Amino acid sequence: MKSAKWENIFKGWNRSESETVLTLKQVPVFKDFSDKEFSELEKMMHHRTFGAGDFVFKNRAPGEGMYIIMHGTVKITVGTRAGNENILAELGVGDFFGELALFDDEPRSANAIATIDTELLGFFTQDLMTLQERNPVLGQKILFNLGGVLGERLRGTNNLLIQVQNKKED
Amino acid sequence: MDEYKKSFQNFFHLPSLTNIYRLLLTIIAVWFLSIIWPFISNVVLMLVFAFLFTTVLLSSVDALERKIGNRALSVLAVVIILLGGIGAFLGSFISQMSQQAAEFSSRIDKETLTQEFKTLGDKFTSAMPDFLQNMQPSNGDAAVKLSELINTIVGSLASMAGAIGNFMFIATMVFIFTIILLAEYHGFRKSLVNAIPNKYFEVGIKLIYNIEKSVSSYLRGQFLSAASVAAMSIAGLLLLNLFGANLTLTIFIGIIAGLANLIPLVGPFVGMIPAILIAFMNNIGSETAMAHTLFGVVPSPFYLLDIVLMFLIVQQIEGNLITPALVGKSVGLHPIVVMIALLIGGTILGPLGMLFAVPATGVLKVVLTEIAFVRKNAHLL
Repeated sequence: MKSAKWENIFKGWNRSESETVLTLKQVPVFKDFSDKEFSELEKMMHHRTFGAGDFVFKNRAPGEGMYIIMHGTVKITVGTRAGNENILAELGVGDFFGELALFDDEPRSANAIATIDTELLGFFTQDLMTLQERNPVLGQKILFNLGGVLGERLRGTNNLLIQVQNKKED
Repeated sequence: MDEYKKSFQNFFHLPSLTNIYRLLLTIIAVWFLSIIWPFISNVVLMLVFAFLFTTVLLSSVDALERKIGNRALSVLAVVIILLGGIGAFLGSFISQMSQQAAEFSSRIDKETLTQEFKTLGDKFTSAMPDFLQNMQPSNGDAAVKLSELINTIVGSLASMAGAIGNFMFIATMVFIFTIILLAEYHGFRKSLVNAIPNKYFEVGIKLIYNIEKSVSSYLRGQFLSAASVAAMSIAGLLLLNLFGANLTLTIFIGIIAGLANLIPLVGPFVGMIPAILIAFMNNIGSETAMAHTLFGVVPSPFYLLDIVLMFLIVQQIEGNLITPALVGKSVGLHPIVVMIALLIGGTILGPLGMLFAVPATGVLKVVLTEIAFVRKNAHLL
């Protein structure tokens, strides 16, 4: 017979990676993290579930942080659902969105809507600030990686702009 | 039809049925709370104390947990260090205080004490303006009154024992609650956050963070100001000793003054009492101390005025220079709001209520600000 006491004492031994950590490992913002750092990050993540068609957030709403998709899909749109909805992106497992809200107090620039039943991991400005106080090295790593991701996106936008300008000149 | 009803209500400013229900529910909730408050006030007080202690100790426990990797051991270590510190302080204070008392009683007999009080009373009376002297009762022998007062105090020692027992029970419960909160703080916080509906999630998480920040910055501010008052009081008392004040237990008096300073408005005056008592105990019977004058002009028997002046200077430096420079306006409340909060806190819970009135009002301010923000942006959520 298994003893609950011994099970509790050895709880955590030979523990395999949780689904949360596996999802976090797919996110470039958390690249090059050690297992210990992932386990600390896992403790800070907020699990949220949304039904199909639920708003994760609305355009112009005050934003507090980023979401990572653990299960399901999310579409990023502008405009209302009534007819002039313009889908900017459709995101799946391991994708993240809303990261700009980690840095500024500006309102959200688009809607995020769950297209099917979806589970998200939330990581917010307050969590990042707490992390900066409690574990500055880890906080620094996240900020550096976030800078890299944003830089990459800016480079992509610049390329698009150059392409449009070139087309205009032609 | 609905539109007609709405415009009708708007025109006559009539409250809708939902608003009436809400008002009724609020009234019932307040009534219910007022009935059960006497039964739960002690528990609420214990939880508030435990929460404040947790806020103070949380960062140490978190830091230790990161080092040793075990939450329970970290809590245990921090609590043992804290209890050890408090125990060492109290133990050494009590032993030194009893030594002082023993020395005092061996030095003084009853007649001398009565005589000293009489001289002191006469001195104060003669220093008063004429019209105040006339208001003194003709048979007002200060020494007799004082001995009556001492008798009353001794008589009420038995009831004090009961109060001490009650205090010990509350302290033990606060201690247990603090340990549980410290061990499970992040779990409790996460459960609370998880309970927020999706619609208000981001606003809710911001609210909780702001409350934590407001409470911890208030507490940090209070501890810094208490430490500065303690350090300056010790320095001031040592300085007075250079001029022959003959004060002992300076470190303890300084720490007590610092702790008393945590209670706004009343605390600073309470902090002076031990110093005045010690000055009196140590200098009784000394002619030089009795004839001492402040700046060679104002009569200040037993250095009493010197001590009061020193504490006033310390409070001015702390209130006008140190606190604004170190912590700024930690809660950001208007002085009138602080005074009203203190009066309400004092009326409901006595001195403890005064201690918590300001941080509680600070938290209320944060909550109201966030509610106003949510109401303003409700259409966007």
